[in-house]
Amino acid sequence: MGLAGTIYQTLFRRSSTAAITIVIGAYATERIIDEGSTLLWKNYNKGKLWDDIKHKYEK
Amino acid sequence: MAAAVGRISASRLLKTNSSLAPFQVCSLSTAHSWTRGRKLLWTSIGVVAGGAGALFLALETSVKATDIELHPPKLPWDHKKILGGYDHRSVRRGWEVYKNVCAACHSMRYLCYRDLVGATHTEAEAKAEAEEQMIEDGPNDVGEMFKRPGKLSDHVPSPYPNEEAARAANGGAYPPDLSYIIPARHGGEDYVFHLLTGYHEPPAGVALREGLHYNPYFVGGAIGMAQALYSEIIEYEDGTPATQSQLAKDVTNFLAWAAFPELEERKQVGIKSIALLSILLFATLYLKRFRFSVMKTRKIQYNPPKKDV
Amino acid sequence: MIKAISRGGQFGAFSKATAQAIPPPSASVLVPATLPPSSKPLVEIDRALLTSDSLGKAVSSINNFGVISGPGVTTQVRFAHTDVKVPDFTAYRRDSTKSPTSDNDKSLGSRAAFSYLFTAGSLAGAIYGGKGIVHAFVTSMSASADVLAVSTIEVKLSAIPEGQCVTFKWRGKPLFIRHRTQEEISRERAVPLSDLRDPQEDEVRVQKPEWLVVLGVCTHLGCVPIANAGDFGGYYCPCHGSHYDASGRIRKGPAPLNLEVPKYAFTDPDTVLVG
Repeated sequence: MGLAGTIYQTLFRRSSTAAITIVIGAYATERIIDEGSTLLWKNYNKGKLWDDIKHKYEK
Repeated sequence: MAAAVGRISASRLLKTNSSLAPFQVCSLSTAHSWTRGRKLLWTSIGVVAGGAGALFLALETSVKATDIELHPPKLPWDHKKILGGYDHRSVRRGWEVYKNVCAACHSMRYLCYRDLVGATHTEAEAKAEAEEQMIEDGPNDVGEMFKRPGKLSDHVPSPYPNEEAARAANGGAYPPDLSYIIPARHGGEDYVFHLLTGYHEPPAGVALREGLHYNPYFVGGAIGMAQALYSEIIEYEDGTPATQSQLAKDVTNFLAWAAFPELEERKQVGIKSIALLSILLFATLYLKRFRFSVMKTRKIQYNPPKKDV
Repeated sequence: MIKAISRGGQFGAFSKATAQAIPPPSASVLVPATLPPSSKPLVEIDRALLTSDSLGKAVSSINNFGVISGPGVTTQVRFAHTDVKVPDFTAYRRDSTKSPTSDNDKSLGSRAAFSYLFTAGSLAGAIYGGKGIVHAFVTSMSASADVLAVSTIEVKLSAIPEGQCVTFKWRGKPLFIRHRTQEEISRERAVPLSDLRDPQEDEVRVQKPEWLVVLGVCTHLGCVPIANAGDFGGYYCPCHGSHYDASGRIRKGPAPLNLEVPKYAFTDPDTVLVG
């Protein structure tokens, strides 16, 4: 029984742990996609966004 | 359409024929019983109709001499790229150009000073911009309108109180409101940029009425607005050389931002949606195959009993 | 098993017979098996025959014969057809179960984990997407940016001379900002609570003693009181004669409550932000 078997036994065998896994997974998905897309956006538009130039105008 | 399909294929579409596909296509055709002459006739009609359509399309899209309008070439705007946002330095300079040049005639009545906060100006700077203008407010305790320095919640003031006053001051031509001018014109940013930089002397043979100016990008070529942007007409606060094309680019970027301030948020939601939906696509494809494997790996065969047994 | 036999009707005899021995079926008619009492069973049974599966396994050593029985199906006898060509379903099978000699129980964990991971992944994604949609619809009910922009008012305090009360328009109501003198402050602080209809200390009604911020709406019937008037040196409502003191508290007349104090904060020493 490899890693996959362990995952099945600990996470998905019981409905309760499966439900908790899914909720935590939803949160993790949200974080990863949000952070990842922000990173992509900021890298692609580096130097042009307001966040990149506002330091010049803030006291 | 459905009736036409029904007429051609009739009940043949319903016939279950598990033999090879090409034969089935052949049997769908109703032309196999035609005579040679009839086939020739319909072929000729098809060729003539297709040729006439192609000719019509070619004439339709050709340049007509009566339509004296130059279509603007495409320019590589930052915010037109698939993942591109606005160049906010340019948008900030564009606000300077609008405020010092365009605002003399053109209103931007759907733009508020609070919109500048977090896009081109800090809150303190936007407040200072608003306080430069006197805004009409009221009525006060005695029912009279009064002027006060602008606040963040105020809209950018218009140069003329109404359209009639604007026409009267501009020889009958109405300077359009610039809040949504980019989506309101064919060609969008490219059109506005080339209109601003495209003024020149009318070519030989073109006579212009008094008070009109020649601009090949404007429909008809004669525009009421005089050339507004010249190199060094204003001085940028960040020291960028204020050439004519720089001024035009900046103000076009500013106008694009004013029309679509939500573009950056929209594109970021797009990135997230594509990321999430591609995960869901593969998961759904797998789960469909998984669930259907029970159905797909089953064979049902019925051998009718022989009658003579 | 008993239920299966009872449901099996006329086939009950067969299902019982299979527990011991099944003769190869003839082409048309099934004859109930009769066993010589002394003969040894053809199949050795080492477990209870509770399901059609165990029944089938028990007779699998006999050629071309199987039994399906149970509460969910009508009891039937099947012939294993050798004239049926079974298509190749390998594409639908997992690698770990393709070999006829593989022990599928061992790979059950990894196979189940794979399928559950996809289910969990799609559910997690669906929750995220659903949250986004719900969020979009719920936030569409909140106040729009132009409403929020006029919901607060900033007042420069240096423009209000001492002893004066200035009226501003805020959310459609008059807002009084009063620059109180030292004499007014000490007078209001000295008022005993027992004298008041709506007992409230001056300290809780103001953040800075010299600045009183109240809504200019009489708590009786909603008129706008007049500043620096009345018997107590504060406000006087001309409609029905309510007298308020310099802390906006009701002292005389029909009004039941003190003038309302809105939410406000001093953003810097010279500016108050109301709302």
